[in-house]
Amino acid sequence: MSAPPFAARCAQQLTRIALALGAGACIAAPADGDWPTAARDPANTRFSPLAEITAANVSGLQLAWSFSTAIGKGHEAAPIVVGDTMFVVTPFPNRVIAFDLATPGAHVKWTFEPKPDPHAQGVACCDVVNRGAAVADNRLFFSTLDNQVIALDTRSGAELWRTRLGDFASGQSMTMAPIVVKDEVIVGNSGSDFGVRGFIAALAADTGHELWRAWSTGPDKDVRIGAGFAPFYANDRGADLGVASWPPEAWKIGGGSVDGWVSYDPELDLLFHGTGRPAPRNPGARPGANKWTSSLFARKAQSGDAVWAYQTSPHDRYGYDGSNENVLVSLTLAGRERRVLLHPDSNGLLYVIDRATGEVLTADPYAFVSTSRGVDPDSGALRYATDDMPAAGRVLRDSCPGSAGAKNWQPSAWSPRTQLLYVPTQDLCEDTDFFAASHIPGTPYLGAESKMHARAGASRGGFVAWDPVKRRKAWWLPERFPVWSGALATAGDVVFYGTMDGWFKAVDARNGHALWKFRTVSGIVGQPVSYRGGDGHQYVAVLVGVGGWAGLIVANDLDARDGSAGGGFVNAMTDLPAATGRGGMLYVFRLR
Amino acid sequence: MTQNDALDPAGPQAAAIGQLWWPTLWLCVFVFAALMIALAWGLWRSRGGSTATPAARPDERGERNARRVVGAAVTLSTLLLTGLLVASVAADRALASLPLADALAVRVTAHQWWWEVTYDDANPQRSFTTANELVIPVGRPVVVTLQADDVIHSFWIPNLHGKKDLIPGRVAKIELRADRAGTYVGRCAEYCGLEHAFMAFDVLALSPAGFDTWLARARSDAAEPVDEAAKRGRELFMTGSCMLCHAIQGTSAAGRRAPDLTHFASRAHIGAGRVANTPQALAAWIEDPQKIKPGANMPAHLLPPADNAALVAYLETLR
Amino acid sequence: MSSAFASRLPVILLATVVGAIAGCQREERHFTATPVPADARAQADALAPQQAGPAGRGMREVAAAGTYDENSAYALAQGKKYYRWFNCIGCHAQGGGGSGPALMDASWIYGNKPGDVFTSIMDGRPGGMPSYRGRIPEKEAWELAAYVRSLSGLVPTDAAPNRADSLSGADPEGLRDPQRPEDKARK
Repeated sequence: MSAPPFAARCAQQLTRIALALGAGACIAAPADGDWPTAARDPANTRFSPLAEITAANVSGLQLAWSFSTAIGKGHEAAPIVVGDTMFVVTPFPNRVIAFDLATPGAHVKWTFEPKPDPHAQGVACCDVVNRGAAVADNRLFFSTLDNQVIALDTRSGAELWRTRLGDFASGQSMTMAPIVVKDEVIVGNSGSDFGVRGFIAALAADTGHELWRAWSTGPDKDVRIGAGFAPFYANDRGADLGVASWPPEAWKIGGGSVDGWVSYDPELDLLFHGTGRPAPRNPGARPGANKWTSSLFARKAQSGDAVWAYQTSPHDRYGYDGSNENVLVSLTLAGRERRVLLHPDSNGLLYVIDRATGEVLTADPYAFVSTSRGVDPDSGALRYATDDMPAAGRVLRDSCPGSAGAKNWQPSAWSPRTQLLYVPTQDLCEDTDFFAASHIPGTPYLGAESKMHARAGASRGGFVAWDPVKRRKAWWLPERFPVWSGALATAGDVVFYGTMDGWFKAVDARNGHALWKFRTVSGIVGQPVSYRGGDGHQYVAVLVGVGGWAGLIVANDLDARDGSAGGGFVNAMTDLPAATGRGGMLYVFRLR
Repeated sequence: MTQNDALDPAGPQAAAIGQLWWPTLWLCVFVFAALMIALAWGLWRSRGGSTATPAARPDERGERNARRVVGAAVTLSTLLLTGLLVASVAADRALASLPLADALAVRVTAHQWWWEVTYDDANPQRSFTTANELVIPVGRPVVVTLQADDVIHSFWIPNLHGKKDLIPGRVAKIELRADRAGTYVGRCAEYCGLEHAFMAFDVLALSPAGFDTWLARARSDAAEPVDEAAKRGRELFMTGSCMLCHAIQGTSAAGRRAPDLTHFASRAHIGAGRVANTPQALAAWIEDPQKIKPGANMPAHLLPPADNAALVAYLETLR
Repeated sequence: MSSAFASRLPVILLATVVGAIAGCQREERHFTATPVPADARAQADALAPQQAGPAGRGMREVAAAGTYDENSAYALAQGKKYYRWFNCIGCHAQGGGGSGPALMDASWIYGNKPGDVFTSIMDGRPGGMPSYRGRIPEKEAWELAAYVRSLSGLVPTDAAPNRADSLSGADPEGLRDPQRPEDKARK
């Protein structure tokens, strides 16, 4: 059964929120049975309101249908469902497949081959992944590895427009899942590890024309910092900090890619996103705070103008990206209702930030952290545990978490019922050796080689349920491998996630009790989703196929004898090839 | 004229070393001469040689004299050596007590076989890197941080101080001051490979005003080429192999494995003091550095003569 | 001298001379490339779609190709140095791979002969290996090719680097056994 026409839904939503807002345009909350963007809704909750599958009956979940993508690389995308069509974007070559959910077994409606340039595979640091499409208004938007953003008609698969946002020869690629805000498609680039200057951009949804672009480094004009910029902390105030906090010219090759998640608050009309780590990894090459890498931004949606910014890891030396998700929730803190964002950062701290002002309300470690001791409440600066700066010729040992962070790209989910944030994590420490690096466009600009390793006595991964009000874990589940998949929370109080050795798991959202698991054909690094199928029942879908940065040893058949391979991950994952092989499959489950 | 004389101190550190060195030299000359005289006298006295059987009983007077002489010599040696020890400790203390108020901080990283010189600043926008040239203001203390990239080198400016090793993985420091303006030679003083003998750097001690002028220019971006040959040279630089290793501030060349060339044309030498920096020498250097400095890490580029000339024209604009 | 030593002296002398001669090859250092006339070398007029560095024609040398030499310890040491300098280590690590394939194992997508590796470096490959023609002079590219082959133990042990200056934990190149295709299954 198809969803009501867009206009009718829009009218319903407007009526509901008109009194509260007055000004909101058609940012409709998605229909219950839909999953229109990778994070499902603008607040990035990844929470499905469907409650047919509950903690009581999920043990009866069974495979409804599956589909092989026949690609052996990391499948990180979220299957997108709008109405009775599901859309899947594969890893390179970024094929888009539309499934007709109204037919039994979900026949393929259409397939679109964007034909990206295969040479772009050479500048994908962390596997040739794609994190999914976004659908709005009968249009599907997705990015390709070679920096194209493409719009398709969801009904026919016909190409509507295609815009190129950069040249992979510079080292830039695109992997992130776009979001649609009003009539804009918001996208960002990848390539910090290649010295590519990061940016976030808005394209017109109907034509693909670039409306605005905000860079992560450079003069205020480029970063879209202007009169309306009011950062909460003094460290983030000053003119042209995106230039002044770097050696001359270094900001042009400074990194800060926007390859993570973007959330949107329609009441404040603010976009929230983070920027990636600075380039090169060797901090000695870039003295200064290196703004605005490893930072969080709040921007006006129509213009991209920054309203506030906050640097989570100033002058980063451990490789901590700031581009993880910002989940928008309302919490009661100290007796007051606060509109906050929850940001599980790579540096191991879970930030609760007032999303109107950028004030850090709390920042607590959600994983083992040895590199810092929390955030200074007055200056807002991260308190690094040591002033001992890594220097060329000396190995920096046992940085916990390592450069993959306590959590990397893999997104967390929020349940408004349990008021818990479900965070997929890894627990890996790292030894790093730094050296001088030359910037050669199109090649990695790192100046570091490293080895990750597990902590003694600790498991390498963990699935954490975090209580942001009590500021501690409600429960957590250790996992043998890093939990590199996304999390899904449902109204039936079931939480889903996948492991890198191929187990798709359902646990009780309240207490973490294991309820159901299913062994899939390959490790899971995708984002599970839930939707209402053509028969009215609740379905759970996930893309399977090990890869991504953590899974490179399998996806790219790396050699385990060199621990520094795969950006240092191989040393910590030498047992993965025995636990899983390559594969590419879409799995869809429903109750018996 | 470039000065290269350890016995001609141009600053307090070399002067302190000199104040230890000269007395030690004269003392050793005196002791050596005394010993030689004593040896000669002993040889002269025992010439001819007596074949008589030695007396059965020791010659008391002779023995007593011998004891006195040996005792006096030992006492004198001990006193002189103690004196040298005191002088040595005093020299060390003098070296360590250079007043460091308002010191200039410079960081030198030694590579095979060139010197990377970085002037850091609290404001990162004002820091910059140059190569094979250390420019310091006269009368102001300089603290040089020493690091090495590959093997052990040693930092030695004879006119200004003694030698200090640069050891990979360690950070050392040396403090010095030039009290006399001029150009001095700095050398590598620890065998570091094939071209160790040709790993020198120019030390320019400028007046404070001159130093400020130099600093302002050194912080600036590279000049824009004006004529066609220089523009062609820049195009070759950026699209060829040069930018893989060299950096020029103000352009997209950001290589960190070879000397920074932003103000290359203002330097006196090419190849870490190997040859004078003239256009002819530069053309030969670009064509085949191995003929001038065999083993240097810069490869040969056998380019068409017009391309070589264009590169030279461009590099000559980088004042 | 003792009679035992005297009687063995000719053998000792012979062994010393043989050892010295055998070591000569290892110690040969060619600093300048052997000039080769321009028309004897193939020049790709159309550049590969992805070049390392800004797009352009690169440097066109009129001569100097250099030759492949895997017997010189100096050439392999230079190759090891350039492997780090030109960011090969960023995609291929110490041979284990990363975003680029592993170079220390037995699987060679485009062949492991010196000419194959040289072509991979100079012309790039369709899967994303950038082209370094005009960026790395040919002599240095041959040195890199020799070093890449040493990563999987395919060069003489006495010439390969014997010390790993990295924290990767892999054996130094001189201690790696030559990788045969069947080794891949046993890895």
